[in-house]
Amino acid sequence: MSEITIAIDENAADKVFDTAIGLIPTQSASGSGSLGPFVASYSASASFAPGDVDLIAPGTIRISDFILNWNLSFSFGIDLSDILPDFCIPQVCIDIPCVGEVCTPEICIDWPTVSIPVSFGDFLKATADFGIAITQTGGNWKVEALVLGVPSLQFGATTAALLAAIGMAITPVLLAVPFIGPFLAIVVNAILIGIGIAGITGFLGPILTPFVSGMRIEIYKQPVNFQVLSAAGPTDPAVFITLDAVNAFITSDTEDELVLTVDIS
Amino acid sequence: MSLTEAEHIFGGIHEDGLNDFLRAILTTRPHYLNYGSPGFVPATTVAATQMPTIPFPGVPGGIDWAVHLDIPVIDLHPKTLSLPPELSLGPGQVSVRTTVQLCFDCRRKPIKDEKPKNDREEPPRGEAKGPCFKVEVFAIGHLERTYSLDGDALVVVVDDVELVDIEPNELESVIECLLLQILRAVLADIRLPLRALRVDAFTLTLTRGPEVEDDQVKVYGNV
Repeated sequence: MSEITIAIDENAADKVFDTAIGLIPTQSASGSGSLGPFVASYSASASFAPGDVDLIAPGTIRISDFILNWNLSFSFGIDLSDILPDFCIPQVCIDIPCVGEVCTPEICIDWPTVSIPVSFGDFLKATADFGIAITQTGGNWKVEALVLGVPSLQFGATTAALLAAIGMAITPVLLAVPFIGPFLAIVVNAILIGIGIAGITGFLGPILTPFVSGMRIEIYKQPVNFQVLSAAGPTDPAVFITLDAVNAFITSDTEDELVLTVDIS
Repeated sequence: MSLTEAEHIFGGIHEDGLNDFLRAILTTRPHYLNYGSPGFVPATTVAATQMPTIPFPGVPGGIDWAVHLDIPVIDLHPKTLSLPPELSLGPGQVSVRTTVQLCFDCRRKPIKDEKPKNDREEPPRGEAKGPCFKVEVFAIGHLERTYSLDGDALVVVVDDVELVDIEPNELESVIECLLLQILRAVLADIRLPLRALRVDAFTLTLTRGPEVEDDQVKVYGNV
């Protein structure tokens, strides 16, 4: 029998994981990814809010409907020449009496490449199964819940909202382009159709999934050289014991419990 | 049956673990086990606690004495360690086993009005010597919830003491009386914080316990 046994039921585990998830610092990532036919560079941050804990023997912790709050800033370049044909306003000459022939210059429109910056934030609910990992590193025992596999994230209405946000971001950028006026709606529609829902999903998935698949929830962390009593004067030095072994598992008797056992010396 | 039963968090400390905690505390702070008057203990240190001599009329400076206890071994119900037939370990009880050494300084001190041989009335500090005797002590007690600087704590309360093979019985009773008080006082000073006993796993607001059963101390509570 282990020298120390600590067990919590699902009700307590819910509170323990609420606290532990709340302590996970905001994560960030940056890089580039495909946004439909475009390449966007992004920086993203994400934080978590708790969900419901289900303990499944012998070693799975399922957390349902936890929340991933995320913010994303990205920009992508559009070569308008890919969407609109270049055109020229031809030279026009008129014969003016007493002056002679006057000609306007030929004006050719060479559509520029524009950069579209977009900022967007939203949240999504996720459900993931976690395994239990026990390690002893740096003089500490650590028990963590680690995500098993790669959870599938459902973006739902987020995709349409982000697509709308892209449309909102494009308009002021394009309005600064000379002669774009008559073509504005055509260009915006072409870009949004080009990206599409699939483009949004394909863009968000690789950015946000690693935040979830890399989740580590700390359940227990204590030094191997564990302090029992703090120093209380010159004749009462601090007292330590050694945590020789730590184990964690889930039992399912009359109720599901997360059990931590420790052997000491 | 689940470990947490009707509560949400359970902590169980096996008697082996409890003895590891005791050993750690008493090895680091042995002054809880060693007491004596200046003839035996020249000053209070980590190793020993200095106490006054036993005053007695006509004995200049009083009678020097010392007590040393071995690290007690605790057994939680049901019984694992043997006990003398006079004691039985009932449900919820703990037994404590240790060896106690009592010493008195019997060097002849100058009596009142007698001129000291070397102008000293007391033996040099720390130089008192026996005679000593050792006796094995068995005790029955229980655990009580108490408080320490680290919050909720457990303490062993000794209820009864038994010595073996001391004659006559009246002498045994006198020494048992003495050792009951000593053991109660020593163990009352050793408070085992619940925080440490559950090695800081989770937070626990105690709602039930401590209970002694299955060779464990069991506590229950909420997170």
